[in-house]
Amino acid sequence: MSNVSLTQAIPMLLKAVPRSRNFEAVLLFWVAGIHAFALAQIQLAVSQRMSWDMLYYWAPPTISAWILHYVLRKYVLNADGLLLPLAFLLNGLGIAMIYRLDLAEITRGGQDLFAERQVWLSCFAMLIAAIVVRLVRNPLVLRRFPYLAGAAAVVLLLLPAAPVIGRTLNGATLWIAIGDLSFQPGEIAKILLAIFFAGYLVSRKGPLSEIGSRVLGMKIPSAKDLGPILLFWIASIAVLVIQRDLGTSILYFGLFLVMIYTATGRGFYVGIGLVMMVTGALVASRLFGYVGARFDAWLAPFATENYTAQGGSYQLVQGLFGMAHGDVIGAGLGSGFPQLIPLAESDFIFAALGEELGLAGIFAILAIYLLIVYRGLRIANTHQDDFSKLLALGLSFVLGLQVFIVAGGVMGLLPLTGLTTPFLAAGGSALLANWAIIALLMVLSDSSLRRVKE
Amino acid sequence: MSELALFLIRIGFVAVLWVFILSLLSVIRADLYGRRVINRIAKQNAPLLTAGSAASLGIDDGDSFNPSEIAVLTGRTAGTNIPLENKKEVLIGRAPSSDMVISDDFASSIHAKLVHVGDDWVLQDLNSTNGTNLDGKKITTPVTIKSGMTIRIGTTTFELRS
Repeated sequence: MSNVSLTQAIPMLLKAVPRSRNFEAVLLFWVAGIHAFALAQIQLAVSQRMSWDMLYYWAPPTISAWILHYVLRKYVLNADGLLLPLAFLLNGLGIAMIYRLDLAEITRGGQDLFAERQVWLSCFAMLIAAIVVRLVRNPLVLRRFPYLAGAAAVVLLLLPAAPVIGRTLNGATLWIAIGDLSFQPGEIAKILLAIFFAGYLVSRKGPLSEIGSRVLGMKIPSAKDLGPILLFWIASIAVLVIQRDLGTSILYFGLFLVMIYTATGRGFYVGIGLVMMVTGALVASRLFGYVGARFDAWLAPFATENYTAQGGSYQLVQGLFGMAHGDVIGAGLGSGFPQLIPLAESDFIFAALGEELGLAGIFAILAIYLLIVYRGLRIANTHQDDFSKLLALGLSFVLGLQVFIVAGGVMGLLPLTGLTTPFLAAGGSALLANWAIIALLMVLSDSSLRRVKE
Repeated sequence: MSELALFLIRIGFVAVLWVFILSLLSVIRADLYGRRVINRIAKQNAPLLTAGSAASLGIDDGDSFNPSEIAVLTGRTAGTNIPLENKKEVLIGRAPSSDMVISDDFASSIHAKLVHVGDDWVLQDLNSTNGTNLDGKKITTPVTIKSGMTIRIGTTTFELRS
């Protein structure tokens, strides 16, 4: 293997030892390099010189990723080799962008800095991922308590509405706060819901998919079996009313639809589900002012009354201007004006990256998400066990759907929601949940291969 | 920093991102289509074995291993046995017409075959998409099966027993 470039070496390595940890190690080196490149570019562009500061933003996450790599090597040797580097690349790009926004904030004389927090939160999230890998080596353990997971998810979803600890920010009740610590329980709830649906559907898929009468060439399930879908639709509407956020509600309902469709193979559920979802969203936009305002801003972002309204389309339009300024190859990291977009470090980090990396860069980021989702679906496809199949599908789909809703919102294709961009946006609970998803996918892929070997 | 240098860095960063992604795509291509190139070479170099042509060679290695059945170890049909007596060829694949049907997403419809050559059974991969493994190694040329060797196709493993 002498005299081959890294690009050539990678397929060779993977063919020789499929899904190996060695391949993951090679990719981790590469990703650490990309992360350092981003930080250096930002420093050069903003302050015309490089300083050792960047080590602070580079070293801790890189070391954590290597610790996670070591844990994977120890406990789940056969797990998928692409997931960790891909997630870490997104995480690193997020940290770099937040650092860049911090530099702009310092120049402006502001005090709202996020990068340092993000660095330590990323390390913490990767540590939690390592713990998840260690604890859940056999994913079938999760199958034992679907109803417990479901109940825990409901509690977590209701928590933000609870007195004392509940918090409402920018119109959405998505947070709980104890002292200075704030947390978005909905992020964890999506994992618990996926576990619940997988457990529930595996035991119920027979009746759900077979019983029913034929009407107009379509098999209509009996009224009793429509119960779960109706119940969950009502629950999603309740989430919408309580949390005042359309995105969260659509995310959970979409997850449910895809999982029930996969478990039963009946298009009927998807059809009726989509009709219910759209009806729910339209009714909500008429009934609730906060959803209506988001709809108005989405339909006519450039109308003066929406642009100037409190919580109107100002943020969206700034994001669109930013991305337009970015053009195809971007303004370059550190050379644009993403700081002009409100909440550029969290909700609008996608627009900030769009401005500085351009269309080419944003497509690269979307391709990374696509690869993560692809790996997840592949794990679902190859796994022997139905519960694990459904869980892997649910977890990867929920990640993909979240990216779709967020990116669509920022680009003005969908109404804007309060969901976070996975791995990129500043915020601990989202990082934690998404790294936990990666950890679970790893464990699932490992258990799939272990079964083949035994 | 000159403008030109910044411009190059800026293009460079996006380029590095894409090189990373494209190299991953090449990996995925490999796991979707398998090692196509090697299979093609194997097909060119290894003429298809048939019991007739093999019998004319009159091979006898004096080996005492005379398997009488295929024992399926894992997979959907785990635990079943397929007798080999009086058979010259065993066609393995997903097609219902195969002698040994493997219903597995990773098996090709005509996946591999076992041919009785002299006293031995020889395993040949029939240019399958995901390959045939013998004791954990993907086979590229026809291989003689010895006692205790396990064959894996997709998620099904089996061995020959006397």
